[in-house]
Amino acid sequence: MSIDRRNFLKYLGMAGAVAGTSLLVSEGIKAKGKDAIGPASAEAQTKPQKHDYEVKPGELDSYYGFWSGGHSGEVRILGLPSMREIKRIPVFNMDVGTGYGITNESKALLKGKFCGDTHHVHGSYKNGVYDGKYLFVNDKLNNRVARIRCDYMEVDKILDVPNIQGMHGLFTQRHPKTEWLVVNSEFQIPVPNNTPSQAPSQYNGCHTVIDAEKMEVVCQILMDENMDLAATDYGGRYSMTTSYNIEKGVTVSEMLGSDYDYMLVFHWDRIKKALSDGKFKMVGGVKVLDGRAGKSDLTIRIKIPKNPHGINVSPDGKYAVCSGKVAPTCSVVAIDKIEDVFNGKIKPEDCIVAQPYIGLGPLHTTFDGKGNAITSVFIDSTNVKWNVQKAIDNEKLPEEKKKNSHIIDVLDVNYQVGHIMATMAETKEADGQWLVSLNKFSKDRFLNVGPLKNECEQLVDITGDKLKIVHDSAAYIEPHDCIIVRRDIIEKVVKDRFNMFENPLAVTKSGVERKGNKVTVKLTANAPVFGLQEVQLKKGDEVTVIVTNHDEISDLGHGFALSNYNINFVVAPFQTKSVTFTADKPGVYWAYCTNFCHALHLEMRMRLIVT
Amino acid sequence: MKKIIVLLFVLMLPVAALADKPKFLEHRYEYKLEDVLKADKYEKKDRYWEAYTAGKLVGYVLLSKDWTKQHVGYAGKHMETLIGFDTKGQITGVKVVFHAEPIVLIGLKEENYDNFMKQYKGMAITQGMSVGNEIKMDAITGATVTAVVQNAIIAESARKVASMSGIIQHAHQKSHKLSKKFEALSWKDLMDSGAVKNIVVTQEEIGQGGKEPYIDLFFGLVAPPSIGKNVLGERAYADAMDTLKEGESAVFIFSNGPGSFKGSGFARGGVFERFNLEQDDKSYVFTDKDYKILTDIAAKGSPALREGGIFIIRAKDFDQSKPFKLKLVIGYRAGNEKKFKPAVSDYKLPDKFMEQ
Repeated sequence: MSIDRRNFLKYLGMAGAVAGTSLLVSEGIKAKGKDAIGPASAEAQTKPQKHDYEVKPGELDSYYGFWSGGHSGEVRILGLPSMREIKRIPVFNMDVGTGYGITNESKALLKGKFCGDTHHVHGSYKNGVYDGKYLFVNDKLNNRVARIRCDYMEVDKILDVPNIQGMHGLFTQRHPKTEWLVVNSEFQIPVPNNTPSQAPSQYNGCHTVIDAEKMEVVCQILMDENMDLAATDYGGRYSMTTSYNIEKGVTVSEMLGSDYDYMLVFHWDRIKKALSDGKFKMVGGVKVLDGRAGKSDLTIRIKIPKNPHGINVSPDGKYAVCSGKVAPTCSVVAIDKIEDVFNGKIKPEDCIVAQPYIGLGPLHTTFDGKGNAITSVFIDSTNVKWNVQKAIDNEKLPEEKKKNSHIIDVLDVNYQVGHIMATMAETKEADGQWLVSLNKFSKDRFLNVGPLKNECEQLVDITGDKLKIVHDSAAYIEPHDCIIVRRDIIEKVVKDRFNMFENPLAVTKSGVERKGNKVTVKLTANAPVFGLQEVQLKKGDEVTVIVTNHDEISDLGHGFALSNYNINFVVAPFQTKSVTFTADKPGVYWAYCTNFCHALHLEMRMRLIVT
Repeated sequence: MKKIIVLLFVLMLPVAALADKPKFLEHRYEYKLEDVLKADKYEKKDRYWEAYTAGKLVGYVLLSKDWTKQHVGYAGKHMETLIGFDTKGQITGVKVVFHAEPIVLIGLKEENYDNFMKQYKGMAITQGMSVGNEIKMDAITGATVTAVVQNAIIAESARKVASMSGIIQHAHQKSHKLSKKFEALSWKDLMDSGAVKNIVVTQEEIGQGGKEPYIDLFFGLVAPPSIGKNVLGERAYADAMDTLKEGESAVFIFSNGPGSFKGSGFARGGVFERFNLEQDDKSYVFTDKDYKILTDIAAKGSPALREGGIFIIRAKDFDQSKPFKLKLVIGYRAGNEKKFKPAVSDYKLPDKFMEQ
């Protein structure tokens, strides 16, 4: 990008103010600025609420937060409301602490690619609420989807998705349970990508459907548009996305060319029928259906003002809210009208039941389960709380709409918010307790640590009319999105130890097996000893070390690190991991336990003698 | 294929448990039956010996592994103990035959272990034999898990044999099914009915002045809906009951005050060394596999809690309808010295929570 980031943001702001001339943006709204609403101020705050955000020593949080890690490639687990980081799960990245990317098992998952860009973590559902089985997360960088098992909180599958770039907007099926999940492609490319000379006007995006259990691509729907965020409805009927580049632009100004873009809806029954009717082509090894305008009845296109970003469905399942980004509005789409559009009974735009003014740069919307929406507003650097029904009603009351009476509160956040998420907000059981504002800049909120700074995530109490910031926390590169899940849902699923024999390599008896120059070293780890005290190797041997942790006590992990061989990994109770290396350096090499395990942890070591 | 895996699992599990455990901490000792009870003839019975002197029965000798193998110590292994007692139920001697307890790691020697064991001679197995009370920890201070488990091994093994030989006679108690009925009860209702019991150890009782509790502990059975659902709340009760397998039971325990009933031994050895349950001859010790943290009490008017847990009794011989005891040994510091304060409470499920 030739324009630097700050200038680009300014440019966006300008575009919002100057170029927001779409017919869909009402005159009344354009005349209003943010001053008309007024920022939240100290005086405006309600009296202190009893709602306690302090989690004292020995107490546990009420919610699990599952966070993406952006270009750190990982997923993180935070406790809410304490905002304590409880775990980092390596997903698409190398993690030398746990040995993810070093062990044979993790290498098989990563296939040599350990740069990743995680954006959206979503859980598997049953009847509109998380079932605690899986988490899924996308890799925008290398176009992969990873699945995390919630019982062990580790990655068990990674799927490479062909024909797309800029994988974005992952979302899981909410009803009746998660059999499918969808991901988008934010970047249009030649499909298949084997004709570099192809004109950008011939590029395509693909909406990809994935089987959640098998972790295989079910099909892709070829589109002209790019696709940004995604959502599914609460009826198991549709997936929905926003598109900001219907222009097929390859420069910023080209992408801003049109006054409107789309909300796209994909009809799952029709997709299933098209597949069983064989209406697909095989491209890059997967079934591709044609979803382009006029080519099939699989999709509809609802015009949304200029470059919308987030799409979020209200917990009552009634509305999809597209946040305007370049347009200062949110578009509220009635989901129960969508079928009529598919059937040609009404026009796509007839689904839009409200288009309230929100502020400059609305990005994402979340819900409190009490009929209110809260939208993150990037350029204004605010969270805006508004009433959905009021916004709908005001479409018939021009005076009220002009007054922006749907807006309940505006909260300044520090600084420049991206995603926001309220507790349980992406489920039927949204409970309106807390909201996290994932702000992209921390600036002066923490001690200065040099030019590269962490992000600032703010915890907001949303139980009252007024939004109230109660806590700032620093986040390393660079969470995009999160979900916040009630503790009981996860707590009953997550385990303290592995099932040892789920892994066929599990070592029950230590020993060394040699076949030519291939040597297998099987080790048990029991605090404070490995099952062997020494292993004799010959220079050039291809050595596979398999370690099984035989300690059953919860939290008693062992490390296996091999001096000067660049090897380290950790095995949790009853877990087995392996690593393969060439014994290319003669000498005596101590292997030792890196993960503190016992009073004699330091003595937990053994020699590999390479002659 | 699935069948094979299941079969392998079953076959390999005992192997896994035994494979490659550290050997350097293991101690095995020769023994003779007369080491614990002098007699001129020992007659082998099913799982114990009768000892005779001049043709007269003088007592019994047994090996603990035949009776209480489920009790394992810090090292995850049973401390095999030879136990003798006379016909009045007085212990005549105990001797450790095998153990793998890592007492060396806290600067203790085998002779310290011996000294701990010497205390048992002369103890009446029909009476209390609690660590911190009749049994002092001084000899193996620090090895609390070892002491508690060793004590459970001796007491329970001896009592089981004493019951068989008629030295201990239990009043016959009829077993009842738990009532499935639910009645909304406040904390006061639960306390008044005896469904929840309370143990208080004051600061004064441990010589630290002040009437405030050092530990203020509450416990009760989880399963009766009118107790469990009221105490834990509907959702947590359902989750807890879901985790119980056929024949298993559970208690909830929580406390306030600076004293801790959980301690930290479970973090290292997996065993909770500060409390156990006793019913008839049996003693129930808990490990971290039997534990789920408890942080909220739902019952109206309940006290706050500083620490708590739901503890699952795996053994199927525990009868929830019969009386049992919760025994506590609370560790505290007097100056730089580690001390232990025992406390006990009887629990009898009130009739209204049982089917009559």
